[in-house]
Amino acid sequence: MTRLLDYGLGSLSNLIMKMADLSVRSVDTAIELYEKGDGDKSQLFEWSEQLRVLQDEITELAVELIARYQPVATDLRFIRSCIEISYGFSRFGRYAYDIVDVIGAMGSIAHCDKSAVMEMAKTTTEMIHQSVQALRTRDKTAAEKLYQMDDTVDALYRKHLREAITPSTKKGTNDMVKDPRCYVSTLLILRYLERMADHACYVGDAVNYIVTGSSSPRR
Amino acid sequence: MTSEEYLSSQDYQLAKTVAKPGYKVSVQRLNSWFFEKKALKEINLDVKENTVTALIGPSGCGKTTLIRSLNRMNEMTLGARVEGSVFLDDVDIYDRTVDPVIIKRRIGMVFQKPNPFPTMSIYDNVAAGLRLNGIRDKRLINEIVEESLKGAALWDEVKDELGKPGISLSGGQQQRLCIARALAMQPEVLLMDEPTSALDPIASAKIEELMHDLKRDLTIIIVTHNMQQAARVSDFTAFMYLGELIEYGPTTRIFENPDKELTERYISGKFG
Repeated sequence: MTRLLDYGLGSLSNLIMKMADLSVRSVDTAIELYEKGDGDKSQLFEWSEQLRVLQDEITELAVELIARYQPVATDLRFIRSCIEISYGFSRFGRYAYDIVDVIGAMGSIAHCDKSAVMEMAKTTTEMIHQSVQALRTRDKTAAEKLYQMDDTVDALYRKHLREAITPSTKKGTNDMVKDPRCYVSTLLILRYLERMADHACYVGDAVNYIVTGSSSPRR
Repeated sequence: MTSEEYLSSQDYQLAKTVAKPGYKVSVQRLNSWFFEKKALKEINLDVKENTVTALIGPSGCGKTTLIRSLNRMNEMTLGARVEGSVFLDDVDIYDRTVDPVIIKRRIGMVFQKPNPFPTMSIYDNVAAGLRLNGIRDKRLINEIVEESLKGAALWDEVKDELGKPGISLSGGQQQRLCIARALAMQPEVLLMDEPTSALDPIASAKIEELMHDLKRDLTIIIVTHNMQQAARVSDFTAFMYLGELIEYGPTTRIFENPDKELTERYISGKFG
């Protein structure tokens, strides 16, 4: 027999997967636009707003389900995790918008060396895809893999940061010296990617919590 | 008998044994039958002192049989038989040398339906047990009645009408009167068998608050069908099914992350 709570959990599940799809699309699109040097941010802004509204809907529904049905065990853990994961997805959308906003704010950055951003974006977008897949399949092992990938992202971030402040040592840094737009945009976007990678790890943690009930301390 | 005499009596001294550190009640390999039907199967359960432990499970799982086994109340049921041990501190309450009357004095009980003595006043309901135990000192009885009614959070509501019949009180007040009656015997453990199932939410909330206060001085074991009540009031929860203790642990863990699939299904309402 279907419990009354199950109807609410079904709605919550639909909302969180809708956020998952939209946040993945936002990040992928933002990276594509960056690569093209296209600063049209209208679509990303709309998606970011949609994600924010969906996050509010999820929080409201979660609170309602707790108040009405006093869920326990897996049900409770899923509801709690949805609140946390929806925040992560909302941040994906916001950082995706921020990436394109940088292009808009800086003007054309077509001539800038994009290798640093693209190198980090490859791992970060993969992490985001994997975190969504972990939620879809309830893969409790994903968190560990995501943290390993996050180590790579952090290492890249530190490496590019060092390169940025010591421009004479690396290839491709000449344009940074010549054009502060390249310098600032690269650093900002690297930072957004690094933050997104952290949120992908938190999604992995939340999935692990749903499945096992053990919450891992933030690393 | 004066209070001094009572406190120095052999019965009281025998009852006041040295507690095992931290644990007040220890159920060991307890089996129970009603005629041929086995009601409890190899129950092991250690109850910490000054905590509330909730027994939950579907109807017929053995919760009431277990709680009634903890102060030998089950012996009053026709065909009931018990094997195994229940230790109160380090006294096995089923030991042949132990007087069940002393056990019932040390382990009080409150039932599902408030059952004040119908012909007695509020005062006499609380004093009855003391008199039955030979206490005649009027001043002492007055003191214990007042303390017990205060302990049951009823004093302020009845202090000016102690002579009124107990059954003239509301259902919630009657239940607190029964708790006061149990407290008058200064028990160390209080067993509560669905104590709020016949009460409205306000009266139930008062009993729940009372349990929270009482556990400072007592160890409480409660049978409840209300999962949210178990989650609210208890420190530890034991889930029973078909006469077996399926899972026992801290309430937060049982309700957030139970070990057993059966527990998860029951508390989530996925049974059947």
